[in-house]
Amino acid sequence: MAATFFGEVVRAPCRAGTEDEEEEEEEGRRETPEDGEVRQQLARKREVRLLRRQTKTTLEVSLLEKYPCSKFIIAIGNNAVAFLSSFIMNSGVWEEVGCAKLWNEWCRTVDTTHLSPTEAFCVFYHLKSNPLVVLCQCSCYVAEDQQYQWLEKPHNPGNHTQSNSCQVFWLQMVFGSCPRKNVQVTILTCRHVTDYKTSESTSSLHTPFLKALKTQNFREPPCCSLLEQPNIVHDLPAAVLSYCQVWKISAILYLCYTDVMKLDLITVEAFKPVLSSRSLKSLVKNIPQSTEILKKLMTTNEIQSNIYT
Amino acid sequence: MASQYDRAITVFSPDGHLFQVEYAQEAVKKGSTVVGIRGTDIVVLGVEKKSVAKLQDERTVRKICALDDHVCMAFAEKMSSFFCNVSTTFIGLTADARVVISRACVECQSHKLTVEDPVTVEYITRFIATLKQKYTQSNGRRPFGISALIVGFDDDGIPRLYQTDPSGTYHAWKANAIGRSAKTVQEFLEKNYTEDAIANDSEAIKLAIRALLEVVQSGGKNIELAIIRRNQPLKMFSAKEIELQVNETGKEKEEAEKKKSKKTA
Repeated sequence: MAATFFGEVVRAPCRAGTEDEEEEEEEGRRETPEDGEVRQQLARKREVRLLRRQTKTTLEVSLLEKYPCSKFIIAIGNNAVAFLSSFIMNSGVWEEVGCAKLWNEWCRTVDTTHLSPTEAFCVFYHLKSNPLVVLCQCSCYVAEDQQYQWLEKPHNPGNHTQSNSCQVFWLQMVFGSCPRKNVQVTILTCRHVTDYKTSESTSSLHTPFLKALKTQNFREPPCCSLLEQPNIVHDLPAAVLSYCQVWKISAILYLCYTDVMKLDLITVEAFKPVLSSRSLKSLVKNIPQSTEILKKLMTTNEIQSNIYT
Repeated sequence: MASQYDRAITVFSPDGHLFQVEYAQEAVKKGSTVVGIRGTDIVVLGVEKKSVAKLQDERTVRKICALDDHVCMAFAEKMSSFFCNVSTTFIGLTADARVVISRACVECQSHKLTVEDPVTVEYITRFIATLKQKYTQSNGRRPFGISALIVGFDDDGIPRLYQTDPSGTYHAWKANAIGRSAKTVQEFLEKNYTEDAIANDSEAIKLAIRALLEVVQSGGKNIELAIIRRNQPLKMFSAKEIELQVNETGKEKEEAEKKKSKKTA
Protein backbone atom coordinates (compact mmCIF):
# COMPACT_ATOMS: atom_id res chain seq x y z
CA MET A 1 0.00 0.00 0.00
CA ALA A 2 1.23 3.50 -0.69
CA ALA A 3 0.13 7.02 0.20
CA THR A 4 -0.27 9.60 -2.54
CA PHE A 5 0.44 13.31 -2.33
CA PHE A 6 -3.13 14.02 -1.27
CA GLY A 7 -3.09 11.44 1.49
CA GLU A 8 -5.21 8.78 -0.15
CA VAL A 9 -4.00 5.21 0.20
CA VAL A 10 -3.72 3.15 -2.94
CA ARG A 11 -2.70 -0.36 -3.69
CA ALA A 12 0.83 -0.42 -5.01
CA PRO A 13 1.46 -3.01 -7.75
CA CYS A 14 3.49 -5.95 -6.51
CA ARG A 15 5.50 -8.14 -8.87
CA ALA A 16 5.97 -10.90 -6.32
CA GLY A 17 2.27 -11.67 -6.08
CA THR A 18 0.62 -13.95 -3.55
CA GLU A 19 -1.82 -16.84 -3.87
CA ASP A 20 -4.45 -14.94 -1.94
CA GLU A 21 -4.31 -12.06 -4.32
CA GLU A 22 -4.69 -14.35 -7.34
CA GLU A 23 -7.80 -16.01 -5.90
CA GLU A 24 -9.38 -12.66 -5.18
CA GLU A 25 -8.67 -11.50 -8.71
CA GLU A 26 -10.14 -14.67 -10.21
CA GLU A 27 -13.36 -14.26 -8.25
CA GLY A 28 -13.64 -10.77 -9.55
CA ARG A 29 -13.09 -11.98 -13.12
CA ARG A 30 -15.86 -14.60 -13.14
CA GLU A 31 -18.72 -13.32 -15.22
CA THR A 32 -22.34 -13.58 -14.28
CA PRO A 33 -24.90 -14.34 -17.04
CA GLU A 34 -26.16 -10.77 -16.80
CA ASP A 35 -22.66 -9.45 -17.37
CA GLY A 36 -22.32 -11.69 -20.41
CA GLU A 37 -25.61 -10.43 -21.82
CA VAL A 38 -24.61 -6.81 -21.29
CA ARG A 39 -21.24 -7.46 -22.90
CA GLN A 40 -22.86 -9.06 -25.94
CA GLN A 41 -25.35 -6.20 -26.31
CA LEU A 42 -22.53 -3.72 -26.16
CA ALA A 43 -20.57 -5.69 -28.74
CA ARG A 44 -23.59 -5.64 -31.08
CA LYS A 45 -24.00 -1.91 -30.56
CA ARG A 46 -20.34 -1.31 -31.37
CA GLU A 47 -20.33 -3.26 -34.60
CA VAL A 48 -19.26 -1.35 -37.65
CA ARG A 49 -21.67 -1.61 -40.56
CA LEU A 50 -20.61 -0.78 -44.07
CA LEU A 51 -23.60 0.09 -46.20
CA ARG A 52 -24.12 0.42 -49.94
CA ARG A 53 -25.10 3.87 -51.08
CA GLN A 54 -28.24 3.17 -53.06
CA THR A 55 -29.90 0.45 -51.08
CA LYS A 56 -28.40 1.09 -47.64
CA THR A 57 -27.90 -2.66 -47.34
CA THR A 58 -24.77 -4.16 -45.91
CA LEU A 59 -21.87 -4.81 -48.23
CA GLU A 60 -21.04 -8.52 -48.34
CA VAL A 61 -17.43 -7.95 -49.26
CA SER A 62 -14.97 -5.30 -48.20
CA LEU A 63 -15.20 -1.91 -49.86
CA LEU A 64 -11.94 -2.14 -51.79
CA GLU A 65 -12.89 -5.56 -53.10
CA LYS A 66 -16.16 -4.12 -54.39
CA TYR A 67 -14.52 -0.94 -55.68
CA PRO A 68 -10.89 -1.70 -56.52
CA CYS A 69 -8.70 1.35 -56.67
CA SER A 70 -5.17 2.48 -57.30
CA LYS A 71 -5.39 5.52 -55.04
CA PHE A 72 -7.07 5.54 -51.64
CA ILE A 73 -7.16 8.82 -49.77
CA ILE A 74 -8.43 8.89 -46.20
CA ALA A 75 -9.15 12.03 -44.19
CA ILE A 76 -9.62 11.49 -40.47
CA GLY A 77 -10.80 14.35 -38.30
CA ASN A 78 -12.69 17.53 -39.13
CA ASN A 79 -9.75 19.60 -40.38
CA ALA A 80 -8.52 16.88 -42.73
CA VAL A 81 -12.10 16.30 -43.95
CA ALA A 82 -12.51 20.05 -44.59
CA PHE A 83 -9.24 20.05 -46.55
CA LEU A 84 -10.37 17.23 -48.82
CA SER A 85 -13.84 18.75 -49.25
CA SER A 86 -12.43 22.11 -50.31
CA PHE A 87 -9.35 21.23 -52.31
CA ILE A 88 -9.99 17.79 -53.79
CA MET A 89 -13.70 17.21 -53.99
CA ASN A 90 -14.43 20.39 -55.89
CA SER A 91 -12.26 19.21 -58.76
CA GLY A 92 -14.63 16.66 -60.24
CA VAL A 93 -17.78 14.70 -59.67
CA TRP A 94 -17.51 12.31 -56.76
CA GLU A 95 -20.05 9.60 -56.23
CA GLU A 96 -20.78 8.19 -52.81
CA VAL A 97 -20.20 4.44 -52.88
CA GLY A 98 -20.74 3.55 -49.27
CA CYS A 99 -20.78 4.68 -45.70
CA ALA A 100 -19.64 3.12 -42.46
CA LYS A 101 -22.00 3.55 -39.56
CA LEU A 102 -20.63 2.95 -36.12
CA TRP A 103 -21.29 3.89 -32.55
CA ASN A 104 -19.02 4.21 -29.55
CA GLU A 105 -18.97 6.18 -26.34
CA TRP A 106 -17.49 9.21 -28.10
CA CYS A 107 -20.43 9.55 -30.48
CA ARG A 108 -23.07 12.16 -29.73
CA THR A 109 -25.88 10.05 -31.20
CA VAL A 110 -27.59 7.59 -28.89
CA ASP A 111 -29.71 5.66 -31.39
CA THR A 112 -27.48 3.17 -33.18
CA THR A 113 -30.07 1.43 -35.31
CA HIS A 114 -31.69 4.37 -36.99
CA LEU A 115 -28.83 6.63 -37.93
CA SER A 116 -29.91 9.03 -40.63
CA PRO A 117 -27.89 9.48 -43.84
CA THR A 118 -26.55 12.79 -42.58
CA GLU A 119 -25.13 11.03 -39.56
CA ALA A 120 -23.04 8.52 -41.51
CA PHE A 121 -19.70 9.03 -39.94
CA CYS A 122 -17.39 7.59 -42.58
CA VAL A 123 -18.33 8.24 -46.15
CA PHE A 124 -16.61 6.70 -49.15
CA TYR A 125 -16.53 8.27 -52.60
CA HIS A 126 -15.02 7.45 -55.93
CA LEU A 127 -14.25 9.84 -58.76
CA LYS A 128 -16.78 9.32 -61.54
CA SER A 129 -14.28 10.17 -64.26
CA ASN A 130 -11.70 7.80 -62.74
CA PRO A 131 -13.27 5.19 -60.44
CA LEU A 132 -9.83 3.94 -59.44
CA VAL A 133 -9.57 6.90 -57.08
CA VAL A 134 -11.41 6.30 -53.82
CA LEU A 135 -11.69 8.80 -51.02
CA CYS A 136 -12.86 8.37 -47.44
CA GLN A 137 -13.98 11.13 -45.11
CA CYS A 138 -14.04 9.94 -41.53
CA SER A 139 -15.20 12.57 -39.08
CA CYS A 140 -15.94 10.34 -36.11
CA TYR A 141 -13.70 8.65 -33.60
CA VAL A 142 -13.15 4.97 -34.41
CA ALA A 143 -12.38 3.15 -31.15
CA GLU A 144 -9.57 0.60 -30.89
CA ASP A 145 -11.92 -2.38 -30.82
CA GLN A 146 -13.70 -1.09 -33.94
CA GLN A 147 -10.62 -0.45 -36.05
CA TYR A 148 -10.22 -4.16 -36.96
CA GLN A 149 -13.76 -4.24 -38.35
CA TRP A 150 -13.02 -1.08 -40.34
CA LEU A 151 -9.86 -2.58 -41.83
CA GLU A 152 -10.28 -6.28 -42.56
CA LYS A 153 -13.19 -8.72 -42.45
CA PRO A 154 -16.57 -8.25 -44.09
CA HIS A 155 -19.45 -7.89 -41.68
CA ASN A 156 -21.22 -11.15 -40.80
CA PRO A 157 -24.58 -10.37 -39.23
CA GLY A 158 -24.72 -13.77 -37.56
CA ASN A 159 -21.36 -13.48 -35.88
CA HIS A 160 -21.55 -11.66 -32.60
CA THR A 161 -18.54 -13.22 -30.99
CA GLN A 162 -15.97 -10.65 -32.00
CA SER A 163 -13.13 -10.92 -29.63
CA ASN A 164 -12.67 -7.89 -27.47
CA SER A 165 -8.95 -8.35 -27.78
CA CYS A 166 -9.08 -7.40 -31.50
CA GLN A 167 -7.55 -3.98 -31.94
CA VAL A 168 -8.66 -3.00 -35.41
CA PHE A 169 -12.33 -3.45 -36.40
CA TRP A 170 -12.83 -0.61 -38.84
CA LEU A 171 -10.17 -1.96 -41.19
CA GLN A 172 -12.25 -5.14 -41.66
CA MET A 173 -14.77 -3.31 -43.77
CA VAL A 174 -12.46 -1.45 -46.01
CA PHE A 175 -9.44 -3.49 -46.99
CA GLY A 176 -10.69 -7.03 -46.49
CA SER A 177 -8.55 -10.00 -45.56
CA CYS A 178 -6.44 -10.03 -48.71
CA PRO A 179 -5.76 -6.49 -49.84
CA ARG A 180 -4.36 -5.53 -53.23
CA LYS A 181 -0.73 -4.51 -53.18
CA ASN A 182 -0.90 -1.98 -55.98
CA VAL A 183 -2.99 0.56 -54.15
CA GLN A 184 -1.37 3.71 -52.81
CA VAL A 185 -2.85 4.96 -49.55
CA THR A 186 -2.65 8.55 -48.35
CA ILE A 187 -3.91 9.35 -44.87
CA LEU A 188 -4.48 12.89 -43.59
CA THR A 189 -5.14 13.68 -39.96
CA CYS A 190 -4.50 16.17 -37.16
CA ARG A 191 -3.17 15.88 -33.63
CA HIS A 192 -2.72 18.39 -30.90
CA VAL A 193 0.78 19.83 -30.78
CA THR A 194 1.23 18.58 -27.21
CA ASP A 195 1.43 15.05 -28.69
CA TYR A 196 4.55 16.06 -30.61
CA LYS A 197 7.57 14.75 -28.74
CA THR A 198 10.24 17.38 -28.53
CA SER A 199 12.61 18.83 -25.97
CA GLU A 200 11.49 22.35 -26.96
CA SER A 201 8.53 24.03 -25.31
CA THR A 202 5.34 23.77 -27.40
CA SER A 203 4.96 27.54 -27.25
CA SER A 204 8.16 27.91 -29.28
CA LEU A 205 6.92 25.62 -32.08
CA HIS A 206 5.43 27.28 -35.11
CA THR A 207 2.06 25.55 -35.28
CA PRO A 208 0.43 24.24 -37.33
CA PHE A 209 3.08 22.14 -39.05
CA LEU A 210 3.05 18.98 -41.12
CA LYS A 211 4.96 15.74 -40.51
CA ALA A 212 4.95 12.49 -42.46
CA LEU A 213 5.22 8.82 -41.59
CA LYS A 214 5.35 6.18 -44.32
CA THR A 215 5.48 2.44 -44.87
CA GLN A 216 8.56 0.71 -46.22
CA ASN A 217 6.97 0.28 -49.64
CA PHE A 218 6.34 3.98 -50.11
CA ARG A 219 9.09 5.12 -52.48
CA GLU A 220 8.24 8.72 -53.35
CA PRO A 221 9.74 11.62 -51.43
CA PRO A 222 7.18 12.92 -48.90
CA CYS A 223 5.87 16.48 -49.15
CA CYS A 224 7.22 17.43 -45.75
CA SER A 225 9.79 16.23 -43.24
CA LEU A 226 9.38 12.84 -41.62
CA LEU A 227 8.16 12.57 -38.05
CA GLU A 228 11.18 12.36 -35.79
CA GLN A 229 11.78 9.72 -33.13
CA PRO A 230 9.84 8.83 -31.03
CA ASN A 231 7.55 8.72 -34.05
CA ILE A 232 4.40 7.53 -32.37
CA VAL A 233 0.97 7.95 -33.91
CA HIS A 234 -2.40 6.94 -32.50
CA ASP A 235 -5.88 5.66 -33.27
CA LEU A 236 -7.23 4.89 -36.74
CA PRO A 237 -4.38 6.51 -38.73
CA ALA A 238 -1.93 4.29 -36.81
CA ALA A 239 -4.10 1.23 -37.43
CA VAL A 240 -4.28 1.92 -41.18
CA LEU A 241 -0.56 2.58 -41.43
CA SER A 242 0.30 -0.57 -39.45
CA TYR A 243 -2.05 -2.60 -41.62
CA CYS A 244 -0.41 -1.25 -44.77
CA GLN A 245 3.07 -1.95 -43.41
CA VAL A 246 2.13 -5.55 -42.59
CA TRP A 247 0.55 -6.14 -46.01
CA LYS A 248 3.38 -4.29 -47.82
CA ILE A 249 1.06 -1.61 -49.21
CA SER A 250 2.55 1.74 -50.17
CA ALA A 251 1.09 4.23 -47.68
CA ILE A 252 1.91 7.60 -46.20
CA LEU A 253 0.40 9.45 -43.27
CA TYR A 254 0.46 13.25 -43.25
CA LEU A 255 0.01 14.43 -39.71
CA CYS A 256 -0.73 18.08 -38.97
CA TYR A 257 0.21 19.17 -35.46
CA THR A 258 -1.93 22.09 -34.41
CA ASP A 259 -2.97 23.89 -31.26
CA VAL A 260 -6.53 24.33 -32.51
CA MET A 261 -8.28 20.98 -32.74
CA LYS A 262 -11.62 22.29 -33.91
CA LEU A 263 -12.25 23.39 -37.50
CA ASP A 264 -9.73 26.13 -38.23
CA LEU A 265 -8.69 27.81 -41.48
CA ILE A 266 -4.99 27.98 -40.70
CA THR A 267 -4.86 24.31 -39.68
CA VAL A 268 -6.63 23.22 -42.86
CA GLU A 269 -4.31 25.32 -44.99
CA ALA A 270 -1.32 23.66 -43.34
CA PHE A 271 -2.18 20.57 -45.42
CA LYS A 272 -1.53 22.46 -48.68
CA PRO A 273 1.98 21.01 -49.29
CA VAL A 274 0.26 17.62 -49.72
CA LEU A 275 -1.36 18.93 -52.93
CA SER A 276 2.00 18.55 -54.66
CA SER A 277 2.15 14.79 -53.97
CA ARG A 278 1.70 12.38 -56.85
CA SER A 279 -1.56 11.04 -55.42
CA LEU A 280 -3.25 14.41 -55.16
CA LYS A 281 -1.60 16.55 -57.84
CA SER A 282 -3.86 15.33 -60.61
CA LEU A 283 -6.97 15.85 -58.49
CA VAL A 284 -6.42 19.54 -57.71
CA LYS A 285 -8.01 22.00 -60.12
CA ASN A 286 -8.90 25.41 -58.80
CA ILE A 287 -7.13 26.55 -55.66
CA PRO A 288 -8.70 30.06 -55.31
CA GLN A 289 -12.14 28.50 -55.58
CA SER A 290 -11.12 25.92 -53.00
CA THR A 291 -10.14 28.68 -50.59
CA GLU A 292 -13.60 30.24 -50.99
CA ILE A 293 -15.28 26.89 -50.33
CA LEU A 294 -13.14 26.48 -47.24
CA LYS A 295 -14.13 29.89 -45.89
CA LYS A 296 -17.81 28.99 -46.32
CA LEU A 297 -17.24 25.77 -44.39
CA MET A 298 -15.71 27.80 -41.57
CA THR A 299 -18.64 30.18 -41.25
CA THR A 300 -21.05 27.33 -40.69
CA ASN A 301 -19.06 26.32 -37.61
CA GLU A 302 -18.77 29.69 -35.98
CA ILE A 303 -20.53 29.55 -32.63
CA GLN A 304 -18.01 28.97 -29.86
CA SER A 305 -18.07 27.89 -26.26
CA ASN A 306 -18.63 30.44 -23.50
CA ILE A 307 -15.97 28.89 -21.28
CA TYR A 308 -13.04 30.31 -23.21
CA THR A 309 -12.72 33.89 -24.26
CA MET B 1 7.24 11.32 -16.85
CA ALA B 2 4.67 14.06 -17.21
CA SER B 3 1.89 11.87 -15.90
CA GLN B 4 3.61 11.44 -12.56
CA TYR B 5 4.27 15.12 -11.95
CA ASP B 6 1.37 16.94 -13.51
CA ARG B 7 -1.44 16.34 -11.04
CA ALA B 8 -0.40 18.78 -8.37
CA ILE B 9 0.53 22.39 -8.90
CA THR B 10 3.16 22.46 -6.18
CA VAL B 11 5.22 19.57 -7.55
CA PHE B 12 8.22 20.12 -9.80
CA SER B 13 9.15 17.37 -12.26
CA PRO B 14 12.77 16.13 -12.13
CA ASP B 15 13.59 18.25 -15.16
CA GLY B 16 12.17 21.38 -13.60
CA HIS B 17 8.73 21.66 -15.21
CA LEU B 18 5.61 22.85 -13.49
CA PHE B 19 3.25 20.98 -15.75
CA GLN B 20 0.04 22.53 -14.46
CA VAL B 21 1.35 25.97 -15.36
CA GLU B 22 2.30 24.74 -18.83
CA TYR B 23 -1.13 23.17 -19.25
CA ALA B 24 -2.68 26.48 -18.20
CA GLN B 25 -0.76 28.08 -21.07
CA GLU B 26 -2.47 25.58 -23.39
CA ALA B 27 -5.84 26.72 -22.04
CA VAL B 28 -4.90 30.26 -23.06
CA LYS B 29 -4.50 29.12 -26.65
CA LYS B 30 -8.16 28.12 -26.70
CA GLY B 31 -9.12 31.76 -26.57
CA SER B 32 -9.50 33.87 -29.69
CA THR B 33 -6.69 36.11 -30.86
CA VAL B 34 -5.83 39.48 -29.35
CA VAL B 35 -3.34 42.03 -30.68
CA GLY B 36 -1.81 44.95 -28.83
CA ILE B 37 0.25 47.67 -30.49
CA ARG B 38 2.13 50.51 -28.84
CA GLY B 39 2.31 53.50 -31.14
CA THR B 40 4.01 56.84 -30.62
CA ASP B 41 0.93 58.60 -29.24
CA ILE B 42 -1.57 55.78 -29.15
CA VAL B 43 -2.08 52.26 -27.88
CA VAL B 44 -4.34 49.91 -29.80
CA LEU B 45 -6.05 46.72 -28.68
CA GLY B 46 -7.70 44.53 -31.30
CA VAL B 47 -9.53 41.34 -30.48
CA GLU B 48 -11.17 38.61 -32.47
CA LYS B 49 -14.76 38.59 -31.38
CA LYS B 50 -16.18 35.15 -30.95
CA SER B 51 -19.53 34.33 -32.48
CA VAL B 52 -22.29 34.15 -29.92
CA ALA B 53 -25.39 32.05 -29.94
CA LYS B 54 -28.44 33.66 -31.51
CA LEU B 55 -30.26 34.39 -28.28
CA GLN B 56 -27.19 35.51 -26.34
CA ASP B 57 -26.79 39.20 -25.58
CA GLU B 58 -23.60 40.34 -27.26
CA ARG B 59 -23.02 43.12 -24.79
CA THR B 60 -22.22 40.59 -22.07
CA VAL B 61 -19.46 39.11 -24.17
CA ARG B 62 -17.07 42.00 -24.39
CA LYS B 63 -13.34 41.49 -24.35
CA ILE B 64 -11.65 44.77 -23.62
CA CYS B 65 -11.88 46.18 -20.11
CA ALA B 66 -10.82 49.52 -18.77
CA LEU B 67 -9.20 49.11 -15.38
CA ASP B 68 -8.68 52.75 -14.70
CA ASP B 69 -8.91 56.07 -16.49
CA HIS B 70 -5.58 55.42 -18.14
CA VAL B 71 -5.21 51.62 -18.19
CA CYS B 72 -7.00 49.22 -20.46
CA MET B 73 -6.99 45.47 -20.52
CA ALA B 74 -8.08 42.95 -23.09
CA PHE B 75 -8.56 39.29 -22.40
CA ALA B 76 -9.42 37.13 -25.26
CA GLU B 77 -12.94 38.07 -24.92
CA LYS B 78 -13.85 40.91 -22.82
CA MET B 79 -13.55 44.58 -23.04
CA SER B 80 -14.64 46.30 -19.89
CA SER B 81 -13.78 49.62 -18.43
CA PHE B 82 -12.81 50.13 -14.92
CA PHE B 83 -11.26 53.39 -15.76
CA CYS B 84 -10.67 54.95 -19.11
CA ASN B 85 -6.94 55.22 -19.48
CA VAL B 86 -5.85 51.78 -18.35
CA SER B 87 -7.35 48.97 -20.38
CA THR B 88 -6.83 45.27 -20.54
CA THR B 89 -7.61 42.22 -22.64
CA PHE B 90 -7.51 38.66 -21.37
CA ILE B 91 -7.48 35.36 -23.19
CA GLY B 92 -8.38 32.01 -21.77
CA LEU B 93 -11.00 31.02 -19.24
CA THR B 94 -13.75 33.63 -19.14
CA ALA B 95 -14.57 33.11 -15.48
CA ASP B 96 -10.94 33.43 -14.41
CA ALA B 97 -10.68 36.64 -16.37
CA ARG B 98 -13.71 38.12 -14.65
CA VAL B 99 -12.22 37.39 -11.22
CA VAL B 100 -8.86 38.90 -12.09
CA ILE B 101 -10.43 42.00 -13.61
CA SER B 102 -12.51 42.70 -10.54
CA ARG B 103 -9.45 42.32 -8.29
CA ALA B 104 -7.46 44.64 -10.54
CA CYS B 105 -10.26 47.21 -10.50
CA VAL B 106 -10.37 47.18 -6.74
CA GLU B 107 -6.61 47.56 -6.60
CA CYS B 108 -6.75 50.56 -8.94
CA GLN B 109 -9.29 52.26 -6.69
CA SER B 110 -7.50 51.31 -3.53
CA HIS B 111 -4.21 52.68 -4.84
CA LYS B 112 -5.90 55.92 -5.80
CA LEU B 113 -7.46 56.30 -2.37
CA THR B 114 -4.30 55.41 -0.51
CA VAL B 115 -1.65 57.37 -2.38
CA GLU B 116 -3.91 59.81 -4.27
CA ASP B 117 -2.26 58.88 -7.53
CA PRO B 118 -3.58 56.64 -10.27
CA VAL B 119 -1.75 53.36 -10.78
CA THR B 120 0.98 53.15 -13.33
CA VAL B 121 0.50 50.56 -16.04
CA GLU B 122 3.50 48.68 -14.75
CA TYR B 123 2.15 48.66 -11.20
CA ILE B 124 -1.19 47.15 -12.09
CA THR B 125 0.53 44.66 -14.41
CA ARG B 126 2.80 43.62 -11.56
CA PHE B 127 -0.21 43.29 -9.29
CA ILE B 128 -2.01 41.00 -11.74
CA ALA B 129 1.17 38.99 -12.35
CA THR B 130 1.77 38.60 -8.61
CA LEU B 131 -1.80 37.44 -8.14
CA LYS B 132 -1.34 34.85 -10.86
CA GLN B 133 1.98 33.69 -9.40
CA LYS B 134 0.37 33.08 -5.99
CA TYR B 135 -1.96 30.59 -7.62
CA THR B 136 0.99 28.63 -9.00
CA GLN B 137 2.41 28.08 -5.56
CA SER B 138 -0.58 27.20 -3.40
CA ASN B 139 -1.78 23.75 -2.53
CA GLY B 140 -5.30 22.90 -3.63
CA ARG B 141 -5.57 25.71 -6.18
CA ARG B 142 -4.91 25.81 -9.88
CA PRO B 143 -3.30 28.59 -11.91
CA PHE B 144 -5.47 31.18 -13.65
CA GLY B 145 -5.93 30.00 -17.23
CA ILE B 146 -5.53 33.46 -18.71
CA SER B 147 -3.01 35.72 -20.40
CA ALA B 148 -3.57 39.45 -20.54
CA LEU B 149 -2.50 42.43 -22.58
CA ILE B 150 -2.55 45.62 -20.55
CA VAL B 151 -2.20 49.01 -22.20
CA GLY B 152 -2.32 52.58 -21.08
CA PHE B 153 -0.51 55.85 -20.54
CA ASP B 154 1.42 56.83 -17.45
CA ASP B 155 1.61 60.31 -16.03
CA ASP B 156 4.77 60.92 -18.01
CA GLY B 157 2.72 60.54 -21.19
CA ILE B 158 4.55 57.45 -22.43
CA PRO B 159 2.36 54.67 -23.87
CA ARG B 160 2.81 51.21 -22.37
CA LEU B 161 1.94 47.67 -23.41
CA TYR B 162 2.46 44.74 -21.06
CA GLN B 163 1.67 41.06 -21.31
CA THR B 164 1.12 38.61 -18.44
CA ASP B 165 0.76 34.84 -18.62
CA PRO B 166 -0.49 32.08 -16.28
CA SER B 167 2.93 31.59 -14.71
CA GLY B 168 2.85 35.11 -13.32
CA THR B 169 5.57 36.57 -15.52
CA TYR B 170 5.08 39.91 -17.24
CA HIS B 171 6.98 41.72 -19.95
CA ALA B 172 6.75 44.99 -21.79
CA TRP B 173 6.19 44.82 -25.52
CA LYS B 174 6.14 47.13 -28.51
CA ALA B 175 3.56 44.89 -30.15
CA ASN B 176 2.30 41.44 -29.27
CA ALA B 177 -0.42 38.93 -29.95
CA ILE B 178 -1.83 36.21 -27.69
CA GLY B 179 -4.38 33.43 -28.09
CA ARG B 180 -5.20 31.18 -30.99
CA SER B 181 -2.70 31.31 -33.88
CA ALA B 182 -0.73 33.95 -31.99
CA LYS B 183 2.52 32.82 -33.61
CA THR B 184 1.23 33.72 -37.08
CA VAL B 185 0.28 37.19 -35.91
CA GLN B 186 3.55 37.66 -34.03
CA GLU B 187 5.51 36.86 -37.18
CA PHE B 188 3.42 39.36 -39.11
CA LEU B 189 4.11 42.00 -36.47
CA GLU B 190 7.84 41.26 -36.47
CA LYS B 191 7.93 41.87 -40.21
CA ASN B 192 5.65 44.90 -40.29
CA TYR B 193 6.18 46.79 -37.04
CA THR B 194 8.42 49.62 -38.18
CA GLU B 195 8.80 53.26 -37.24
CA ASP B 196 6.79 54.17 -40.34
CA ALA B 197 4.04 51.75 -39.41
CA ILE B 198 3.45 53.52 -36.09
CA ALA B 199 4.30 56.99 -37.34
CA ASN B 200 0.79 58.20 -36.75
CA ASP B 201 -2.37 56.95 -35.06
CA SER B 202 -4.21 55.78 -38.14
CA GLU B 203 -1.21 53.74 -39.29
CA ALA B 204 -1.02 52.02 -35.91
CA ILE B 205 -4.73 51.18 -36.08
CA LYS B 206 -4.34 49.78 -39.58
CA LEU B 207 -1.40 47.67 -38.47
CA ALA B 208 -3.54 46.15 -35.70
CA ILE B 209 -6.32 45.40 -38.16
CA ARG B 210 -3.97 43.90 -40.72
CA ALA B 211 -2.40 41.72 -38.04
CA LEU B 212 -5.78 40.44 -36.90
CA LEU B 213 -6.96 39.79 -40.44
CA GLU B 214 -4.10 37.30 -40.81
CA VAL B 215 -6.06 34.94 -38.58
CA VAL B 216 -9.62 36.21 -38.32
CA GLN B 217 -11.61 34.16 -40.72
CA SER B 218 -14.65 36.26 -41.39
CA GLY B 219 -13.35 39.79 -41.76
CA GLY B 220 -14.33 43.00 -40.01
CA LYS B 221 -17.55 41.82 -38.43
CA ASN B 222 -15.58 39.61 -36.05
CA ILE B 223 -13.15 42.27 -34.89
CA GLU B 224 -13.39 44.60 -31.90
CA LEU B 225 -11.04 47.51 -31.55
CA ALA B 226 -10.18 49.93 -28.77
CA ILE B 227 -7.65 52.73 -28.59
CA ILE B 228 -6.33 55.05 -25.94
CA ARG B 229 -4.76 58.31 -26.97
CA ARG B 230 -2.67 60.44 -24.64
CA ASN B 231 -4.88 62.29 -22.11
CA GLN B 232 -8.01 60.87 -23.65
CA PRO B 233 -10.34 58.17 -22.40
CA LEU B 234 -10.67 54.71 -23.88
CA LYS B 235 -12.44 54.74 -27.23
CA MET B 236 -14.25 51.66 -28.47
CA PHE B 237 -14.75 51.53 -32.21
CA SER B 238 -18.24 50.91 -33.46
CA ALA B 239 -18.93 48.17 -35.99
CA LYS B 240 -19.22 50.76 -38.79
CA GLU B 241 -15.90 52.37 -37.95
CA ILE B 242 -14.21 48.98 -37.90
CA GLU B 243 -15.77 48.08 -41.24
CA LEU B 244 -14.46 51.34 -42.71
CA GLN B 245 -10.98 50.68 -41.43
CA VAL B 246 -11.05 47.09 -42.71
CA ASN B 247 -12.21 48.24 -46.16
CA GLU B 248 -9.48 50.87 -46.33
CA THR B 249 -6.89 48.31 -45.30
CA GLY B 250 -8.21 45.92 -47.92
CA LYS B 251 -7.95 48.59 -50.65
CA GLU B 252 -4.41 49.49 -49.67
CA LYS B 253 -3.45 45.83 -49.76
CA GLU B 254 -4.92 45.41 -53.26
CA GLU B 255 -3.09 48.48 -54.52
CA ALA B 256 0.17 47.25 -53.05
CA GLU B 257 -0.33 43.87 -54.73
CA LYS B 258 -1.10 45.51 -58.08
CA LYS B 259 2.07 47.55 -57.85
CA LYS B 260 4.05 44.42 -57.06
CA SER B 261 2.63 42.49 -60.00
CA LYS B 262 3.35 45.45 -62.32
CA LYS B 263 6.94 45.52 -61.15
CA THR B 264 7.43 41.78 -61.72
CA ALA B 265 5.76 42.01 -65.13
